[in-house]
Amino acid sequence: MSAPVVGFAGLTHLGLVSALAVASKGFRVVGYDADAARVRDIAAGRLPVVEPGLDELARGCAQRISFSSQVKDLGACDLVYISTDVPTDDRGQSDLSGISASIAQVIASLSPRALLVVLCQVPPGFTRALPLPSERLFYQVETLVFGRAVERATRPERYIVGCADPGKALPEAFAAVLGAFGCPILPMRYESAELAKIAINCCLVASVTIANTLAELSERIGADWREIVPALKLDARIGQGAYLAPGLGIAGGNLERDLVTIARLSQETGSEASVILAFVANSRHRRDWATRVLHEEVRKADALIGILGLAYKENTHSTKNSPSLALISTLAPWRLKVYDPVVPAAAANHPRAQGAASALAAAEGVDALAIMTPWPAFRELKPADLARVMAGRTVLDPYRVLDERAAVAAGLDYLTLGAPPRRAKEHRYA
Amino acid sequence: MLEHSNPARKAPSRVVIIGAGGFVGGAISACLTADKVPMLPLTRQELDLLKPEAAATLQRLLRADDSVVFVSALAPTRNNGMLIDNLRMAEAVCAALATQPVAQLAYISSDAVYSDDANPVTERSCQQPSSLHGVMHLAREIMLRTTLKLPLAILRPTLIYGAKDPHNGYGPNRFRLLAAKGEVITLFGEGEEKRDHVHVDDVAALVSAVLHHRSKGVLNIATGRSASFREVAEMVVALSPRSVEIRGTPRQNPITYRHFDITDGLKAFPEFRYVPLREGLARVAKESA
Repeated sequence: MSAPVVGFAGLTHLGLVSALAVASKGFRVVGYDADAARVRDIAAGRLPVVEPGLDELARGCAQRISFSSQVKDLGACDLVYISTDVPTDDRGQSDLSGISASIAQVIASLSPRALLVVLCQVPPGFTRALPLPSERLFYQVETLVFGRAVERATRPERYIVGCADPGKALPEAFAAVLGAFGCPILPMRYESAELAKIAINCCLVASVTIANTLAELSERIGADWREIVPALKLDARIGQGAYLAPGLGIAGGNLERDLVTIARLSQETGSEASVILAFVANSRHRRDWATRVLHEEVRKADALIGILGLAYKENTHSTKNSPSLALISTLAPWRLKVYDPVVPAAAANHPRAQGAASALAAAEGVDALAIMTPWPAFRELKPADLARVMAGRTVLDPYRVLDERAAVAAGLDYLTLGAPPRRAKEHRYA
Repeated sequence: MLEHSNPARKAPSRVVIIGAGGFVGGAISACLTADKVPMLPLTRQELDLLKPEAAATLQRLLRADDSVVFVSALAPTRNNGMLIDNLRMAEAVCAALATQPVAQLAYISSDAVYSDDANPVTERSCQQPSSLHGVMHLAREIMLRTTLKLPLAILRPTLIYGAKDPHNGYGPNRFRLLAAKGEVITLFGEGEEKRDHVHVDDVAALVSAVLHHRSKGVLNIATGRSASFREVAEMVVALSPRSVEIRGTPRQNPITYRHFDITDGLKAFPEFRYVPLREGLARVAKESA
């Protein structure tokens, strides 16, 4: 057969990056989204997401990808991925109404033999219930990581595919697309694949929760979690890729969604899942680390606080479940100066926040500075410069963006995750 | 977590304090007086909640725009009889407020409602009391929550201290009284247990804040900093003009700890600052000198 034409329904962060990755392997790709303005922007090269390498990827495969806001244009495809966002509510529960409506539209536009692949995060049981013959219906686990999306989409470590009968060979068109990436392909039942996605996230959450739990203990008993991590990674049972960096809870929304899904399924089926609730409680506790520390450190009623970073992590414009915004929402009594390389200051949504033109400008005159997103640009900041422009001495640097020794040497009180506070008056490094 | 009906402070029309004659109720009354809030303080003389006519009496005293603070309790609840009496008191309040709804009810509960091993304690920690006192407060909370359809704030203070504390419980007050007499302060074991101690004025100030914001929900009242009983004893002795011995004893029971995660409080009242324990003890020493 000739090379299949691949469609993507939903030019979301996931959809756009995945579509470009498939196009980069030589396939003709049709990217569809109902939002005509979004489609126009993407077609004109104004990509709505920020990812390292994404612009280059888009330029490299521009000839093979087209974009449309007409769902009927997916009728030319041999294989269509559903890549819409599945929003969550305040409790982390998925709202499946949007994806269900989108799938219904797409199915109506498919050519009679075209395959449908659900690429979004859906709960176990969702794919099997879709109204399409099982030989044309698949689920594929996505492992998008904001900030590393291009790397992971173009060089996946494996594909996990949900299907009706894992003993049967995948259809030729689907196998051709996946085979182009040269990684293992693991077919399994729909429900297994859907749960595999959640299982991956639960394992990551478990690692992060252990790191966060022991990092907090380190802060209180004089240990430094950073010194412990390399020892753990050299243990073959844990490994170099383990998620052991302490953070401000579980951010981003998708991991929480999976925890909520597992908790719900366990309630429904009666399986024991109290550890999942413990993950959620620990995440909530650690998310507020900066709130507790700032309120402990800053005693001035009219203090000015500098906030560096609004995005939920570096190299993304996403602020969903951002620890920075969570912190800002608790700083009502104080004035703020905020700066993020990508996210506008208005996202702070604080009545007394003003935007700054640069990271250093956001530190000018502040009583305390909190570096809430580890943007690479913030690593260029020199503690001596911060100490010179700041009015106070307190620096919260949860992700260790600054050089701790240089910060203390510059006269700053340095507070980070996983280690006791280092106060300039108490520490003199040789 | 508390939700504020009034985002900015707004004085309540009138505050009715049920239990204004007690240690905590008196502090709340003094705080509201200082805040110039119209008040109807009710002591046992005006309203004995154990009398058969208590509900009717209270109902007659209440107005629809009142904010009510329910702080009256036979405490600590040491036996079954006290437990039942405390629940009867709550029954009377429920009956009165069911027939005469008010603008807000603030119930002064206790951190005794939480499981002993719930560390760090948050407002979402498991409520599994191990004492009759904790059972009493939790039962009262549930009675109020399920009976009444009005904005309800449940405040759960941890160990409260202050110059007018009438109890002689193990901790700051007993240590202060012993130090004042120059007697030995005897610790359980070496006083390793850590607890959070909150000054009664802070409890009163937070109750006032809850009333001014017409808040509803649950809030723990704790400083977020726990100290061992030995540390508390040492602070008390340091404030005493007399030479006082602190003496350990052979440990009879396992060491237990209680710590609080006070993030919800920081979010609810970000401007509020607790009196640090050392400073609070000094205030008590001065007031009781």
